[in-house]
Amino acid sequence: MASKFRFIFGLVICAASAFAEDQGGWLDWQFPKDSPVLMRDHKGFTNVTMRGPSMVVDLHETLILINVGKKPICALTLRVEAQDITPWGKGSVIKPSLFVLPGEEFPVKVDMQLLRPITAAKSETAMVQVSLDCALFSDLKAYGPDKLNSRRTLMVYEMQARRDRQFLGRLLDSGRLPELRAELNFGMQDSIPRQLGLEFLRGPHVPVVREQALAVNPVNFPKAPVQPLSGAAQVAGNEVRAPHVDIRNVSKLHVTSVAMGWIVRDDHGTDFVAGALTSRLLIGPVQTSSINESGTLRFSLPTGQPMVIDRLMTFVNDVEFADGSLWIPSRDDIDAATQDLTLRRELATSPEEQRLASIYRREGTEGLKKELKRVSLPN
Amino acid sequence: MNTNAPEHPSMEMLSLYAGGDLPFALRFRTGRHVKECAACERQVLSLQSAKTELRREARAEVLTGFEAIADWHALETDMLGNIRVGVAAARCIEKVGRRRRIGARLAWVVGMAALFAAGWMSRMPPEDTHRIITALRRVVGLEQPAFNGTVVRSTPDGIAVRAQGATLTLLHPQSAVVSMSSPASVTARYIDDDSGQVTITNVYGQ
Repeated sequence: MASKFRFIFGLVICAASAFAEDQGGWLDWQFPKDSPVLMRDHKGFTNVTMRGPSMVVDLHETLILINVGKKPICALTLRVEAQDITPWGKGSVIKPSLFVLPGEEFPVKVDMQLLRPITAAKSETAMVQVSLDCALFSDLKAYGPDKLNSRRTLMVYEMQARRDRQFLGRLLDSGRLPELRAELNFGMQDSIPRQLGLEFLRGPHVPVVREQALAVNPVNFPKAPVQPLSGAAQVAGNEVRAPHVDIRNVSKLHVTSVAMGWIVRDDHGTDFVAGALTSRLLIGPVQTSSINESGTLRFSLPTGQPMVIDRLMTFVNDVEFADGSLWIPSRDDIDAATQDLTLRRELATSPEEQRLASIYRREGTEGLKKELKRVSLPN
Repeated sequence: MNTNAPEHPSMEMLSLYAGGDLPFALRFRTGRHVKECAACERQVLSLQSAKTELRREARAEVLTGFEAIADWHALETDMLGNIRVGVAAARCIEKVGRRRRIGARLAWVVGMAALFAAGWMSRMPPEDTHRIITALRRVVGLEQPAFNGTVVRSTPDGIAVRAQGATLTLLHPQSAVVSMSSPASVTARYIDDDSGQVTITNVYGQ
């Protein structure tokens, strides 16, 4: 019996190894011929191991991409699709705050792990496909199939980047170096972005006996075109289910989508910015509407320990209008929204500020000046 | 009926007490009773005198027959008591041996459990422990059953989407900040050490 088991196990290992030798079978990448971004080179490795009745495929690849278009590229999204979970799930890798000039190269690292049953069927195509979803240019025009609604996401990142560059540039130009230091001291213990663990469940709801309704408190940005009015969610321990918020369009424009940011306070009184959920809805001027999220969210500390939810707050992260333009909160809006310095910092933290803070810590004021000059748009 | 009234020790017990053959606790308890109970005290004295008589006769080697024994019944009780003490002592020794064996086995089990716990604590990642505990809690009904739909989640190594028995994880360093980005989507943001660029990974469930 044992020898039979060893024989079968050996066969499985041999089959997996033979499979692994065929590198093209694991990973493939696709860039349309007319794409402004092409792959010039790639390097990396794939490792296949067995874990019980499953196969673990570790894929580590660095793609060297080149801007073959005529405009600077500000941001880019690569779509990652694995045949085993398509169409139920997919992934993406976003590179915001790029500013890659025509003819310039830039690397994009893709590190992933695929866990699949050994018995799962394999199609003719590669197990994981990486393709261009969207590229955003400096004039905020976009290219790509945009299957992941990437254009909107990249636009928000780029607008935040421009806001934060302008803000930091003003601090530098006016010699307000202490303020600059205070803004970028992310290395300090109390300023490191707070981490939390998340789990999003979508499917049939399993009723929880302890569940109770919790009011959602709005955090208002005074100049936001959409204002949150009130809301509630079903909460049980570390689970939030079916949150909903009533909002009002206080602008004179038609709104087509709103991203609501969520702040979770744990039972120790610590606030975590849990992220922002975008909802597509059409709201005319001065109209009200309701945003309802389906599914269940579970929050935990980075250690995996469940986080007891004490309070929920929401704010308008960004708004898209019918003409395609976007609104994001200004620095003044954020300053006016809350007196809590830590929360204010969490609300203001953008990918670009994180990148510039990293440069500032490594190269100081001169390095920051140089970088701000490099990414500045020609007048 | 007075339920607190002291019960008289048996004749065997009195006999053993009279001979000084009872263990300490029983001797103390019987002695207290004998001091307060005239009937038992008389019985003890009678037993002791019979015993003394027997010893004296034995020493003098003048024991001629059953008639030499003043109180045959007391002597019989004493002898039976001695036999029972012997049997009880044998049983005690057997019990002590069994207790020692049980103790040794228990110590071995506790030692192995401690070794297992130490190995588990030092080798098993906390998230695996948490997963196993969660699974056990689900088995006994303390936690809701496992979810069978699409799951999007953050793990210590990355963000993952699980569907149809397969899991795709986009890996990130420990410094990454995880958040929600759209319905059924989780985002991780970090600075790539090599390029200094920000990388944002997302997983989406449907």
